[in-house]
Amino acid sequence: MNYNPVTALAIFGIVSFLLFLIFRPEKGWLWKWKKTSKSGGKTLTEDILKQMYHLEDSGKTADIHILRDALKVNEGKLVYILSRMAAKDLLHIERDRLILTKSGKEYALSIIRTHRLWEKYLAERTGYDQREWHKQAEKMEHLLSKEETEKLAEKLGNPIYDPHGDPIPSPKGKTAEFKGIPLSRLSKGTKGRIIHLEDEPYHIYEQILKRNITIDSLIKVEENDKNRIVFYSEGEYFTLSPAVAENITVSVIKDEDFKDPGYFRLSRLKEKERARVVSISKEMRGESRRRLLDLGFVKGTPIKVDLKSPMGNTKAYLVKGTSIALREDQASKILVKKEKV
Amino acid sequence: MEKEPIDKILDLAEDLRWKIGDDFHDKLTEGIYADASEIVSNVTRSENSGGRSRLDTRIDRIVTSKTWGFPIMFFILAIVLWITIVGANYPSSLLSDLFLNTIRPFLKDMAVQINMPWWLSGFLIDGVYMAVAWVIAVMLPPMAIFFPLFTLLEDFGYLPRVAFNLDYLFKKSGAHGKQALTMSMGFGCNAAGVVATRIIDSPRERLIAIITNNFSLCNGRWPTQILIATIFLGAVVPQYLSGVVAVSAVIGIAVLGIAFMFFSSWLLSKTVLKGEVSTFNLELPPYRPPRFWKTIYTSIVDRTLIVLWRAVIFAAPAGAAIWLISNIDVGGQSIAGWLTEMFNPLGFLIGLNGVILLAYIVAIPANEIVIPTILMLTVMITGVAAGEGAGVMFELDSANETVEILRAGGWTLLTAVNLMLFSLLHNPCSTTIYTIYKETKSVKWTSIATLLPLILGFVVTFLVAQIWRIFTG
Amino acid sequence: MSKNTNTGCEGCPQYIPDDVKRLGVDTGDADYVVALAGNPNTGKSTVFNTLTGLRQHTGNWPGKTVTRAEGAFIYDKKKYKLVDLPGTYSLLSTSEDEEVARNFILFGKPDVTVIVVDASRLERNLNLVLQILEITNKAVLCLNLVDEAKRNKIEIDERALARDLGIPVVPTSARFRKGIPELTKTISEVASGEIVCKPHRIKNMPEKIKNAVKKLSSELRKQFPGLPNSRWIAFRLLEGDKTIINALKKRELV
Repeated sequence: MNYNPVTALAIFGIVSFLLFLIFRPEKGWLWKWKKTSKSGGKTLTEDILKQMYHLEDSGKTADIHILRDALKVNEGKLVYILSRMAAKDLLHIERDRLILTKSGKEYALSIIRTHRLWEKYLAERTGYDQREWHKQAEKMEHLLSKEETEKLAEKLGNPIYDPHGDPIPSPKGKTAEFKGIPLSRLSKGTKGRIIHLEDEPYHIYEQILKRNITIDSLIKVEENDKNRIVFYSEGEYFTLSPAVAENITVSVIKDEDFKDPGYFRLSRLKEKERARVVSISKEMRGESRRRLLDLGFVKGTPIKVDLKSPMGNTKAYLVKGTSIALREDQASKILVKKEKV
Repeated sequence: MEKEPIDKILDLAEDLRWKIGDDFHDKLTEGIYADASEIVSNVTRSENSGGRSRLDTRIDRIVTSKTWGFPIMFFILAIVLWITIVGANYPSSLLSDLFLNTIRPFLKDMAVQINMPWWLSGFLIDGVYMAVAWVIAVMLPPMAIFFPLFTLLEDFGYLPRVAFNLDYLFKKSGAHGKQALTMSMGFGCNAAGVVATRIIDSPRERLIAIITNNFSLCNGRWPTQILIATIFLGAVVPQYLSGVVAVSAVIGIAVLGIAFMFFSSWLLSKTVLKGEVSTFNLELPPYRPPRFWKTIYTSIVDRTLIVLWRAVIFAAPAGAAIWLISNIDVGGQSIAGWLTEMFNPLGFLIGLNGVILLAYIVAIPANEIVIPTILMLTVMITGVAAGEGAGVMFELDSANETVEILRAGGWTLLTAVNLMLFSLLHNPCSTTIYTIYKETKSVKWTSIATLLPLILGFVVTFLVAQIWRIFTG
Repeated sequence: MSKNTNTGCEGCPQYIPDDVKRLGVDTGDADYVVALAGNPNTGKSTVFNTLTGLRQHTGNWPGKTVTRAEGAFIYDKKKYKLVDLPGTYSLLSTSEDEEVARNFILFGKPDVTVIVVDASRLERNLNLVLQILEITNKAVLCLNLVDEAKRNKIEIDERALARDLGIPVVPTSARFRKGIPELTKTISEVASGEIVCKPHRIKNMPEKIKNAVKKLSSELRKQFPGLPNSRWIAFRLLEGDKTIINALKKRELV
């Protein structure tokens, strides 16, 4: 056998490249093959139902072009599936308009229920990053049976809202009230509480996360014009473009309920300052939240910075006589109020 | 149907849960702490409102300071390693002298006297006994020094500060600051490092620490690195530089291991482990003067002897296997010969040879016996006059003779470099694999921990070999 | 065995009386089972080692004792089996350590639970203490590291603490074997029923929760007369704890 190091390297390169093509997540062949082989109609049917439900919910009607663009499928396949769905009495077709039937709507709600429950599950019981929740739930919503969904709901204590603040439809298709206004439509001086962060489209959600805007925070709008929206929250000023603000929902509160002044995030506490814990943000979930509570980060506890790690980020806080180190992202989810000396 | 009374209670509980909302846990914990602080203010009088002792605060200000934090840390680590390496030399040679030059001839004589057949005495004394003796002689002294020192630092309370200082680096690769300690422990012994991950209370970060512990060059692999670096790398430069080159090569390998540890931690946290629950908190406990003798005693009993015992249990069958494959002939050649021939092509491809691969397979129980096994197999295959016969591991005092044997076995500088790399990047020893299984109770994580470094080892040595050959023609 | 108890301690003011026999790991047919609970880093394992004569190592780290250690001693002709539970901050979370500790106190029904606390960090330690007192009626508080507290200028009125918690409090400094004889004596008195505890119940709760707990626990007591910790079971039910629900269904708690 002829051996040549260059050939060997070349073969190695080709094999690695092939493996990469096959196993690459999401764009790999294996992934795509799995996706198409499983979606024998069911996934597409359910995606159509969901899409139609959201359109109808926001006062629009679906037609074949909107669906084609939203779901990125070829028209022939779409027409075929739609006709089958019509035959199953999930929707009816009026000329070019598509309208959900009652059973179609119920089916759509059950998919949304599974999706949001799964997001809740990922948020509370696993370590998946919030950027992953939506993607994973998009898959699981087609896989869980009704019984499994109900078991999941029971395990989670029948939650009403998903981690983004969206209401989870009940098994009978009822949804909790959801009264909020997009941040972009609030005028200067309005006070409110963030109740929902939209996770679609992803590039806007990513921006919300990057700014460290958290659900349940109290805010006050400082400025709102065509170009930008500035609001104050938890000791900091946030500037957003209207497109991003559109995806943040706020429930307006009365002036007297706005207790915010003086509250800020623990990550901003300086050395030698004394403060008391006000609350732990709702974004701190599951095991991490319980751990912090057990360590004594509860309402009213005096707290101060004890030590700073030489490389930054991690700081040790003195809480109830013990020095406990937390990372910056954790400290930013604990609200404190400065003590007057 | 009549409802069970218990179901009625559960229904009631469900009902009440809806009424009190989802912050029950928060409220309950707040309530408990409120009670606690009432009681404490009733019963204690304190002049120290902060709660932490002034001395502790003062020590902490120094050991975590920007200026002094890292120098102190490296100084302590260097001292510990220095004491371990220097201090272990003498007892190690004493033990190996005792086991190999005193006890072994005695056992051989005994075997002759009681007319033991050659194959039985070979199997028991040259195979099983030699492997066990070797492992004890090489492993025991450094561990008996390293673990107590480490335990003293631990009992004093310094180690959590190291975790605190280094946390940022580990956070960047998705790991926990405490991994700095389990990693350092791994420099002593990977199995002990894996057990030490218990201090990491977050499931994801603990698994990361377990799987990547093998990238810490353990005490069984240091001698291999030092030997090969000295006799091959040290020899290619002028005499006065050889010491420096050899030492830097070994340190370079250890640092490379740390780099791989960070890299694979990051990789794992982004892929297979991303769904595992992850939390972080690090308590900096008060400093307490360690109880010297008690610490020495318990660390030797709890860590050193337990690890040693496990290693011995795994080494005995390995010794037997090494002896058997060298002494059983099939079709005019020993099994070892056949296997070596079989592995040769693969070995060549990654810049090693069949003997080395075979040695790594049979010496899975302990990295300590890799070099003696390689020497024994090389002598056997090449027919050079050295050593003590088929299946008997040996090492030589003279560096020159060792080099000669290895060169006769076809070794080049590339072989030496790649052996050093492969010694860093291959599957953990069987003791560690078993420990990982015991700690994780999962076949999946155990296999990942075993295969990940092995695959990396193949890829790295393969690439080095090809590039080397391209440049050296 | 007796060698361990005597080394270096003849001179101490609190010389350990001869009637304590440390039995190491020999835990067969014990008269009483004693659980040892406490936060990490409170010297719990030192207490354990001192009582049993064992030398189990645990570092100056939170969460070192992951497996359950057992040992035994004889005091006043009775044999006590001592179980060292993992050091935890709480029993309300779901980590493995906490489950081990909680399940032992709940299902193992020890005759006495000794709770070791760090005297300098009493408030933080009481979180666990108050939770344990909701589960069991028979407990002893081992107020450890009192020497360290004294050095930090913290003074604790043990009697007031015992009164507030409703259980006996024994100040110790286990490293120097101070207070250990008193601890053994108190353990035996609680085990035999000579001392009856009236453990503290958590008071500071919002009205809404208080009422819910009351309602639920009185239902529980109706169904399971003799349930010693109905309030705590109610807490767990309100958190939807599956283990407890299943245990109730199988009637393992009475």
